Amino acid sequence: MTLRSALEVQGAVPVPIASHFDNRGITRQEDKARGEFNIWFNSFPAEQLPPVGGRITLGAVPFLFPARDDHGHDNLRCGEQCIELPLGRYDWIYLIAASERRSEDPLHLRYADGSLDPEWLRVSDFWPETPAHFGEPDGLHCADMHYPRHVQRAMGPSVWRSRVPVTRETELAAISLPDNPAIHVFALTLVPANPIGASV
Amino acid sequence: MINPSSHVIEAVPSWRYDVVGCLWTSAGTLLGFHGAPILETLGAAWGFRHDPAQLRREEYYFPCPPGASLWEAIAPYHPVRSTWREPADAEEGWAQVRDEVLAGWPVIVAADNFDLPFRPAYQDVHTNHLVVVYGFDEARSTVRVLDAVPPRFDGDIAIKELMAARDSNNPELHARDMFFTNRPIANRWLEVEIDTAAFPAFDLDTLRRTIRSNLDGFRAESSVEAFVGAGGQRRYLRDVVVRLRAGETICDELFLVAGAVLAQTALHAAWLALAAQRFDIPRLAVAARSVERIAHHWSAVRIAGALTRNGEYEPARLERRFHVLVDDHGRALDELEFLLPSL
Repeated sequence: MTLRSALEVQGAVPVPIASHFDNRGITRQEDKARGEFNIWFNSFPAEQLPPVGGRITLGAVPFLFPARDDHGHDNLRCGEQCIELPLGRYDWIYLIAASERRSEDPLHLRYADGSLDPEWLRVSDFWPETPAHFGEPDGLHCADMHYPRHVQRAMGPSVWRSRVPVTRETELAAISLPDNPAIHVFALTLVPANPIGASV
Repeated sequence: MINPSSHVIEAVPSWRYDVVGCLWTSAGTLLGFHGAPILETLGAAWGFRHDPAQLRREEYYFPCPPGASLWEAIAPYHPVRSTWREPADAEEGWAQVRDEVLAGWPVIVAADNFDLPFRPAYQDVHTNHLVVVYGFDEARSTVRVLDAVPPRFDGDIAIKELMAARDSNNPELHARDMFFTNRPIANRWLEVEIDTAAFPAFDLDTLRRTIRSNLDGFRAESSVEAFVGAGGQRRYLRDVVVRLRAGETICDELFLVAGAVLAQTALHAAWLALAAQRFDIPRLAVAARSVERIAHHWSAVRIAGALTRNGEYEPARLERRFHVLVDDHGRALDELEFLLPSL
């Protein structure tokens, strides 16, 4: 265990989002022909990512690393999915996400009292040799990339740990993702509200 | 005089900006080689032009105004020009590039990635790409190639591999031969002229004149043939939706158009941000970020357009994206217009 993973955010709530998956972004070498992360049918090599279906810690935030659903999907293209959340007070929504060229769009936070706010979702490019544009300090970086017919060595794509602030200090109930098919989401975790002074 | 059998040009820089393709990376390399500032040159222009008759299935597609060369289109405020040279065959194509390298000039050549061993598309996907050639060794039958598009490559391949890539017919053979196929490479290479000494200074006067000119360009009336300026962009986006609703295939066209606009818009946002920092103008940084937002719209459009191929993305969704893009675009132009008198 690294020092970083030992410093996991307390009380974080990984949220299962598999019911919204509609894209296969991670493949094993033997099924790389079925990858479809981007429009060229590239995919991330499973062998170079954490075990699917397990719990991982990325930059001190725990996530449920996606397992394939019944249709073989392991991530979603943002298309206005409404994700129900465990009701609670949160400060941050953390995501494991990647974009086909960097992009941004507002998502909408739905609160238990019926109020709704837009907040920006910004995700950097998954493409190899491309640094994070939006200041994401952490990510999962592969060494190779899967093409339908071959493995491209030394050309590693990335997924990023992105975050969205929850500015309203009331109970959050759901989020509605933007309609932006360039942006893919693999996992989502809520970080609970930290009352002012609690960490001091 | 003995004709050398090998030569490598020294100090050929590699340059890339994250959302751009080979047109811009190769231009950056040549600008840098000639001592010209790269972002200050490639990021200055911002506009919209689409001439359906001019659309070319190339990774390096960029719409050119009538009479303007490719480099004059991407860097209209700087003394640069390009000319496509079209040799008769592969042998003449290599001879011409060899002569340029011997003369000390790195050369931008068109090539099919299918035949380039360092590209992921090697022996897999046909496409129409640009790389920079800057050396050769005939005793080893190799040529020195720089390609800053990931996976970045700077090394030697066989001369015969480069010649095959340049002589390719670039056929469309399977489902992933998309967007940039069906246009023979034809051994073309790009002759460029760069008058570095005559480049304008990157100063406040240049900043004002450039922004003014870009804004005037967006206010230009569309010609009959082409969609030009903000009005032309609005008309074009409306036209795409109409044609998609009528059952027309627009995915390849929109992917090409969006890729070109995305690259130029992102570079211009970076140019504005550079100016804001250089001249300490915080409000210009805000305007730069508004332009960057437009680039991020085009990231979404590029993929949405591609997904119309199989009906995964419907016309109504595309139309809604276009409405927001056009609104945000108008606001970004207004911000720059508002800011300009105070610069």
